[in-house]
Amino acid sequence: MPDSFAPPLITVESVAIGYGGALVFRDLSLAIPKAQVTALCGPNGCGKSTALKAMRGMLPASAGQILLDEAPIGGWGAKALARKIAILGQSPSAPEEMRVRDLVALGRYSHRAACRPLTPPDLAAIDTAIRATDLADLAERPLGGLSGGQLQRAWLAMVVAQEAPAIFLDEPTNHLDIAHALSVLDLVRRLRRDSAKTIVIVLHDLNMAARVADRIVLFRNGEIAAEGAPIDVLTEARISQVFDITCQVLTRPDSDLPLVVPLEPHGSG
Amino acid sequence: MTRTTQVLPPLAVLLIALFAVAIGSSFMPLDRVVAALFGAGSRADGIILWNIRLPRVLLAALAGAALAVAGMLLQRATRNPLAAPSVLGIVDGAAVGVLVFFLLFSNEANALVVSVNWQPLAAAIGALVFATIVGVLAYQDAVSPMRLLLYGVALAALANAIVVLMIIAGPVFRASQALIWLAGSVHTADWREVGILSLAWLVALPVLVLMIRPLDQLRLDDQSAASTGLNVARTRVFALLLSVLMTATAVSVVGGIGFVGLIAPHAARLLYGTNAAPQMLGAACLGAGMVMGADLLVRAAFQPLEVPAGAVTALIGAPYFIYLLIRQSSTHA
Repeated sequence: MPDSFAPPLITVESVAIGYGGALVFRDLSLAIPKAQVTALCGPNGCGKSTALKAMRGMLPASAGQILLDEAPIGGWGAKALARKIAILGQSPSAPEEMRVRDLVALGRYSHRAACRPLTPPDLAAIDTAIRATDLADLAERPLGGLSGGQLQRAWLAMVVAQEAPAIFLDEPTNHLDIAHALSVLDLVRRLRRDSAKTIVIVLHDLNMAARVADRIVLFRNGEIAAEGAPIDVLTEARISQVFDITCQVLTRPDSDLPLVVPLEPHGSG
Repeated sequence: MTRTTQVLPPLAVLLIALFAVAIGSSFMPLDRVVAALFGAGSRADGIILWNIRLPRVLLAALAGAALAVAGMLLQRATRNPLAAPSVLGIVDGAAVGVLVFFLLFSNEANALVVSVNWQPLAAAIGALVFATIVGVLAYQDAVSPMRLLLYGVALAALANAIVVLMIIAGPVFRASQALIWLAGSVHTADWREVGILSLAWLVALPVLVLMIRPLDQLRLDDQSAASTGLNVARTRVFALLLSVLMTATAVSVVGGIGFVGLIAPHAARLLYGTNAAPQMLGAACLGAGMVMGADLLVRAAFQPLEVPAGAVTALIGAPYFIYLLIRQSSTHA
């Protein structure tokens, strides 16, 4: 386990945040430890994606403060911030005729000088990212010719090529079948294990969160309902309260990780 | 795209430039063109070439390239392949600026009371005013692509109405001056005008070079572009501002030559891909070729009438725009 006294990457202190007039969080406090996978979970509309964007400085807080490496996140320049944290949104888009390698190269923007071509470190980072995401055979293909799973890997490669010590992912397994979803989670584990990346990942599937995360933060209605190790957070009582369902939590046969089995929505008898 | 299809257009543009210098009210064979260029030809050839043909061809090329690059900046900033200076009312806005300038600063003898070099500024102010109105209206809708076009078309119509009103209701002696300018023509070209556009290009060029990388990032959606470290809002404002200023400068000198900023960047994207540098070079080249070619066509076909080159670009451009509209709506259906 990493040293629990090491300063966190991000500290959210009593933050109020929202879109326009509508606040999603009134008083959010949260810390993201370094070199761990933190999963943000909770029902639809609970604020997990909002929290993710706020911690990347993409939404200004109307009260409280968000610190990145103990400095207010609003004071970081766009490129400096990008060299610290890469983020992949839910519905990224790029021209269909763009090749995979060109997309991945766009991840190098924050490292490049204005008018210089790609440097050897840039090219090395691009190649490493393409290999890490198993895209070597597809690197010259246009994005329009990729399947959903391949496309998601191409976007992940762009994020990896950015070489930021922290990576934020907003529901990266959405629309993927089980095999592709598992390979995304596997990539996340590898990034944490081999490169000591700090990863924050929004997931709505609790079993996937249990599989990938060191810590789970469970949101409900703009508040934190629970946070901690998967085995401590994912209890029958808490899940049934947060999601309004009855469920059973088993222990996985292959490990001591919890396995959530949803049974019935509350109110259906 | 194969190498050949990529190399052919610039060669064609070069050929157009040569023909444009050779063809006029009198045909000048290539050997005489070259001789006159280096001051070795007859005196008459020298005068025709240096005083009439060269400024005209250069002006057409500089203006066409400026309109094309302005169109590309607009299409990148709005992520809308149908955005163009003429479609979004920027060209007509510049026209309003120039007409107000004529109205305010010329005397009974049809002469300007201030330097004509202020005309680009007047065009820029008109263009900026109309671009800002379109921008503010479209921004409220979170910039839906089709809405942006509709606002642009509506504002262009409004600007046109103002122009027509000013011509009809204004003093007669300014109407002819305005009409010639409005239709978009390079037949009054002189070296002063070439100088203005060259200066504008000199100012724009370093900014364009610095914008290549940000424009490349802008191919991503806003959040992804921001994730890679791009200041999206600032890049967009710079691109739009530069686009408006380049359009205004070009339009103030050559008049309302439309659709170059729509077709040239679009064709350049098909030919040279989405990387900003090759697309920009390609668009500039094609834009220059379009205006030189249109001017060449009107000179060769309608001699001795002076038909404005803008009529030809609109004749080609409007059907192309309709084709793009149909294709866009079928892919988004």
